[in-house]
Amino acid sequence: MPEGIFCNKKPIETEEALTALLGDTSGAQYYKEMKSLDVDSKLLWTTIQNTCKSRIRTWLEICAHCGMCADSCFLYLVNDRDPKQVPAYKIQSTLGEIIKRKGNVDNKFMHMAMETAWAKCTCCNRCGMYCPHGIDMGIMFGYLRGLLYQQGFVPWELKIGAGMHRVYRAQMDVSEEEFVETFQWMVEEYEEEYPGLAVPVDVENADIMYTVNAREVKHYPEDLAEAAILFHAAGENWTVPSKGWEQTSLAMFAGDWAACKMQVENVYAAMERLKPKRMVGTECGHAHRATVVEGPYWAGRKDGKPPAESIHYIEWLAEALREGKLKIDPERRIKVPVTLQDSCNYVRNHGLRETAREILSYIVEPGYYREMSPNREHNYCCGGGGGFNGIGLFRPQRNKGLITKRDQILATGAKLVIAPCHNCWDAIRDLEEEFEIGIKWSFLKPLVISMLEIPDHMKPEE
Amino acid sequence: MFKKILFATSATEASDHAARVAFNMAGTLKAHLNLFHVLGVPTRGFSQVVFDVKTKKEVSVDDEYISWVEEEVKNYYSNQLADGVVDCSIKASVGFPHREILRQAREIEPDLIILGGTTGSDEDSVYKSSTGSTLQRVAKAAPCPILVVNRSAASFWGGLSNIVFGTDFSKASDKAFDFALKIAMSLNCELHLFHALDISSTHMGMSMSQDEIEQKIREAYRKIRFKYVSRMKDRKNYSMDVWEGIPYVEIVKYSREKHADLIVMAHNSRKLDIDGSKIGSNMEQVIMRAGCPVISVNR
Amino acid sequence: MYEFITGFMFWLALGVCLTGVIVRTILYFRGLQWNLDRVAYKAYPVEGFKGAIRSIYKWILPFGTHGWRKQPFMTVIFFSFHLGAVFVPLFLLAHNLFLKEKLGFSFFSINGGVADFLTWLVVVSTILIILRRIALPEVRIMTNWYDYLIILISVAPFVTGLMARYQVGDYSFWLLAHIISGEILLFAIPFTKLSHVFLFFASRAQLGMDYGIKRGGLKGTKMAW
Repeated sequence: MPEGIFCNKKPIETEEALTALLGDTSGAQYYKEMKSLDVDSKLLWTTIQNTCKSRIRTWLEICAHCGMCADSCFLYLVNDRDPKQVPAYKIQSTLGEIIKRKGNVDNKFMHMAMETAWAKCTCCNRCGMYCPHGIDMGIMFGYLRGLLYQQGFVPWELKIGAGMHRVYRAQMDVSEEEFVETFQWMVEEYEEEYPGLAVPVDVENADIMYTVNAREVKHYPEDLAEAAILFHAAGENWTVPSKGWEQTSLAMFAGDWAACKMQVENVYAAMERLKPKRMVGTECGHAHRATVVEGPYWAGRKDGKPPAESIHYIEWLAEALREGKLKIDPERRIKVPVTLQDSCNYVRNHGLRETAREILSYIVEPGYYREMSPNREHNYCCGGGGGFNGIGLFRPQRNKGLITKRDQILATGAKLVIAPCHNCWDAIRDLEEEFEIGIKWSFLKPLVISMLEIPDHMKPEE
Repeated sequence: MFKKILFATSATEASDHAARVAFNMAGTLKAHLNLFHVLGVPTRGFSQVVFDVKTKKEVSVDDEYISWVEEEVKNYYSNQLADGVVDCSIKASVGFPHREILRQAREIEPDLIILGGTTGSDEDSVYKSSTGSTLQRVAKAAPCPILVVNRSAASFWGGLSNIVFGTDFSKASDKAFDFALKIAMSLNCELHLFHALDISSTHMGMSMSQDEIEQKIREAYRKIRFKYVSRMKDRKNYSMDVWEGIPYVEIVKYSREKHADLIVMAHNSRKLDIDGSKIGSNMEQVIMRAGCPVISVNR
Repeated sequence: MYEFITGFMFWLALGVCLTGVIVRTILYFRGLQWNLDRVAYKAYPVEGFKGAIRSIYKWILPFGTHGWRKQPFMTVIFFSFHLGAVFVPLFLLAHNLFLKEKLGFSFFSINGGVADFLTWLVVVSTILIILRRIALPEVRIMTNWYDYLIILISVAPFVTGLMARYQVGDYSFWLLAHIISGEILLFAIPFTKLSHVFLFFASRAQLGMDYGIKRGGLKGTKMAW
């Protein structure tokens, strides 16, 4: 059977196809069909010839097989230094081999490549910093994922995820109406407590256009309220777009570049329609990477920037605290040992290494902050990045991958981990569930709200 | 009185006391009962995997699974549903319990929410991330009164004859009074107006003299007369008392003495327990200790 | 024979090597595509250039980066090897005399004792590099015959040079072997993994531009290499 009903080379384009695939519990049928999915070697090789240019070819060629990248990879370290987990080996034995064989690889090989690309690499790009030749294996794995996606060898959840973006322009089945509805609901819930709280939808020429992660809408809409409260307290002129509000991109994890383009263009269209001065995204790492760092390239923007200046939530928050738009009550600062999880996607991949620390300098009582080791752009992945968190098939591998972060956190002695990234937050939550080390974890928004000096105009009438 | 009741249940023993009250009430008052079960918290980022709180298993949730769970809930309450007295609907959902209960409440607009117990504890790590307990969070934002049954002793609902209304004279307490009065009038039962004067030293920072206490008690009586009694028109069927002590202890003692079938209070706390302190609010303490159902009114 | 290999073959090897290096370097940079690599090279030439220089500079300093500091043993043998491998061929007195005769110019020359030391350093570190390849599972798994061939090609001129230097056995044989192995090295540079002698700079520059432009450079964050 060359193409299955669920597992095939066609992306999900319709709601019906999406529902059907979701109905295949845990992807049982999907993975069964994958076992007999044919490899289109000709397509594979043509694609490589068209898209694999000097950068990746040179990387593959000059790799000295020196093994210096080994220690940089947390998956190598937690898997008892298994040589098969050495980043250079992982990429040479997959992408390197495909190119060497000019695309003539079989189904079994593609299965191996799929596991390597999604269960042995989180695309955290840390190894690229430890290679003397500057070979960034994370980038190559991203490229490999694209090839695998094109051939239909992609984990079930990510096929769905990419399909969600194609159908809903969001990572979950949240429609534009539901987004606005939920945001309004949240504001209603909190407006008694914070008079004047509102959600300005589709306001043109605002200072800030706020974009979110669909998970917030679906599962923890408090986050939307918290964002509204903080913008309100800071006296910002802000808005949310009714269309183009989703900042994330599971399509990026899946390697579905066409869907990435559709998704990000939807957000850029909102920027062009509403003409905000700036876009602020929520506390999410990959969303920032997708929409702000990589997105402009998918959309073909030569300056490598989105249509409006786009910043991460922590950049806005740091600025608001620095400029005194938000005031912290020093009495209520954090007084437990606390550490920070640096997200790969905006620290290593966008240089925001001091921003969150500046915020912590305002909200943590001096003496309670503990650095992880290593930290900043040298920090390890949370263990669940690049889609790893969401793939049922690779759950055991992912759980093992959490050990690095667990040990890093334990070494700090912190009782609270601040994770301004959805993926990291999820991974840390899961690691507490898995290993029960007695920590709490949080985004920044609720913490800041809990210690905010509420401006007079926002105090509820008594 | 109540046309639509939302009963958030774990469909396990933990919710049995609440279930008894819920079915009884719905039956007596001819209300529609919506059995609502949040089957688990979605974990793992965007995956379909959910930890089912009832089966304690990780499951992959789809429409089929949800129908199966709804069927399970129906089976669990098959005894109560068998005679067909109660007009009932069932719904299962995935998410954080407090959020999904509030979402459901927003959708069906019930007159009362009855909260069952949780199977796990709020200490389970899946819930730890959210501040405050499910009760606190639902009570804080619910659009309607919430009824909670904690002790088995409290689960008897044999019709209402005595309602205790505990007040701290706050705005929310005024709302709670309106509600208590409405029930008392429609079910024609006795209403006991009660205020506890907080004399715990931690509260005041120093102990009060007996003169001072008595002075304050007199003031409280005046307030009760002014705020509540005046609004009962010529209704005779009531009593009022002010006791000094630790508020939640006094309310529980008072309710026992008056053979209360229901306590109505305002859930005043706007802040959630950030440190997850076990003590909780007065309200929660009363719920934990009372020998009858407790209704919390917020707005 | 000697005439041929120091004459025609020398010119050929040198020509092929230099042409290869130039052509491949040009091809490399022409093959960089802003949209596929997702780096706006052309939009930010200054930032890109700074990033590239910084990335190269940090990595050619011994212990200049986290990567080097993390693996001190590897760093020592790596730099020992490359120090000799770069300095001796270019700055040995005998090589300079040869260059002067052939090309009419020469570089400065290093002291004979230093040259001896550096050459031995190359040989010793090669042995250590090979032992490391065999001893460490994470390196062994990737090592194949090609890696050893590259090591052989690069170290042969040094070993034969030493043999000639100490006149072990037949001097003219070792001299001939030395020149031939040197020319093989020149031929191999553009076409094998040895292309890293120039592509190292290209690849490092590329990643430097990536970080200098896209990954934080425009935010003013300099990568802590």
